[in-house]
Amino acid sequence: MTLISTAVDRPAEASAPRSTRKRATYWLLAPGVVWMLLFLVLPIVMIVYVSFWTQTTFAIQPILTTKSWVTFFASDTYIGALWTTLRIWLTVLVATIVVGYPTGLFVGLFVKNKTLQTVLLTLCVIPFWTSFLIRVLAWRPMLGKEGAINIALQWLGLTHAPIDALLFSELSVVIGMTQIYCVFMVGPIAFMLGRIDPNIIEAARDLGAGFGRIFRTIILPLSLPGVVVGSIFVSVMVLGEFATSAALSGRKVNLLGNIIVTQVGSLKWAFASVAGVVLTVIIAIVVAGLLRVVNLRKEL
Amino acid sequence: MSSILQLHAVEKRFGDRTVLNAIHLSVESNAYVSLLGPSGSGKTTLLRVIAGFEEPDAGHLVLDGRRIDDVPAYQRNIGFVFQNFALFPHLSVERNIAFGLENRASGAMPAAERRERVRAMIELVGLSGLEARGIAQISGGQRQRVALARTLVTEPRLVLLDEPLGALDANLRARMREELRAIRERLGVTFLHVTGSETEALAMGDTVIVLADGDILQVDDPEAVYNRPASAQIARFLNCYNIFGGRLEGDDFLGAAGRFSTLGTRLGAAPGNGGAAPAYAVRQDRIAVRPLEQGPTDGEQGVGGVFVASEYSGPSVLSFFTLDDGQIVEVEDHLSLRAPPAYAEKQRYSLVWNAHDALVFT
Repeated sequence: MTLISTAVDRPAEASAPRSTRKRATYWLLAPGVVWMLLFLVLPIVMIVYVSFWTQTTFAIQPILTTKSWVTFFASDTYIGALWTTLRIWLTVLVATIVVGYPTGLFVGLFVKNKTLQTVLLTLCVIPFWTSFLIRVLAWRPMLGKEGAINIALQWLGLTHAPIDALLFSELSVVIGMTQIYCVFMVGPIAFMLGRIDPNIIEAARDLGAGFGRIFRTIILPLSLPGVVVGSIFVSVMVLGEFATSAALSGRKVNLLGNIIVTQVGSLKWAFASVAGVVLTVIIAIVVAGLLRVVNLRKEL
Repeated sequence: MSSILQLHAVEKRFGDRTVLNAIHLSVESNAYVSLLGPSGSGKTTLLRVIAGFEEPDAGHLVLDGRRIDDVPAYQRNIGFVFQNFALFPHLSVERNIAFGLENRASGAMPAAERRERVRAMIELVGLSGLEARGIAQISGGQRQRVALARTLVTEPRLVLLDEPLGALDANLRARMREELRAIRERLGVTFLHVTGSETEALAMGDTVIVLADGDILQVDDPEAVYNRPASAQIARFLNCYNIFGGRLEGDDFLGAAGRFSTLGTRLGAAPGNGGAAPAYAVRQDRIAVRPLEQGPTDGEQGVGGVFVASEYSGPSVLSFFTLDDGQIVEVEDHLSLRAPPAYAEKQRYSLVWNAHDALVFT
């Protein structure tokens, strides 16, 4: 009898501390969960909620209406800003890939020395040691009518009159953004390329493939996760941009981000919320779309 | 036998370190050749120079009577099997094997013929049924087969294998040895197999090339390398000889261990001992251990040693004896020949061998 009772009792005794321990480990998540709930989930819910409030010129009231949404989608200004945002995002994304991929290829694959690799990647980050606004504003003396580029072009005799379109245009916004966000493309691509076993490339060479073939069949597919991660970084940042366009477009290029800033500035909380929700949805779609290109969980 | 590959005074330096020192070598066709060398001997570099991954600093290479110094790696038609296999991680087993036929610079093979070649090769190496698997979903031995099949399917003139069994566990290694030999015999292509393991080199090669410090020390069949190593250095590397240092005095070899007559002994396969000091070597399994009072008789040589310990390794027992000068002598007793020896610890014994079982390197 005693034997049986101990046999029955023991697992119960042993399991009690184990389940307590398991419950205790969940507490590790508590700070993170509380933080995200308070400062991410709750604000997003609030923004969606506020976008349905009633907005008058000087006040906003918690009476639910779809008026702000209708106004947003009926307005040429807002829809125009939406298209401009998408156009600039795509242009900058392509430009960062065009500039960033060869750079990543050079640093990640052709620089064999690991120390030199780190030095080169650090060089890419040096512009970040100064403030964002200074980096953006520094483009003005470069691109302006009497800026460095126009002076150089005229001195070389390539143009006779300064080119106006360089500054305070969509072009200057694209140039500025590409420069600022390129490093976020180079980093992940160089990282993925650096992880390719050099023996694999030698094996492909040994099997009779020339460099073009090796690039297409081995290097490109293996670096694709880096391109996707870099694209996610660049997309999220460019879609939410407002400062570069404000500083380099002379108020001619309005992105959704600029709309939000203006509306918040004039206390139009409901309109700002509508634009905020639209932007969040676009970013979510873009990120989800990019993640479908490559199975990141498998590749990384 | 005709030779498929010749190296003439091939040299390779990294900085001011000479890795390959004027290598002359001829590899016969349709043979299994082992290239044996300790780590750092330059054996992998030699293989990479032959494959075209490294350029030699001097000398030239001839493959099939054609100079290949200026031929890039992808046009040499030499297969290379990497130690870590270097499979393409994003391609399936089948696509890995088909890679060479699909992507070679000389133009892709017609799809039907290609499929047939790949299928036949998959069957040959025993990978049927795994064609669609990813590289991460197969075992180490299967990866080894994919690496081999991927190279063999391109029908290279010569296959270089860089420690191909190093990444496998002992059990699998023994089985793959058999398979590599069988596959090679069926295809009739030359394998040049680099290894740091003397047992692997002796077991696999029709010919064994011994490389050390960038020099080729001996090229011979396995039995000759084992029984008549060209120098004391090779004997030491083979790990089955007791080697005594010393000098020659007339017909005697005089060393710290004692004075041995060299009458009736054999000489190393090459004179000069590679420029090193003379040495006297006796195989570990040719030494008899006797009670101290039964010293060497006619035609025998011997020393006295104190028993230290023994090591059981299945088919044989290795016993260690200390000589008066502190040198350790190892004696191997094959258990199929005698009962397991029972030596008393710290007891002095007489270690005796036949003069004709000794090798003298002068």
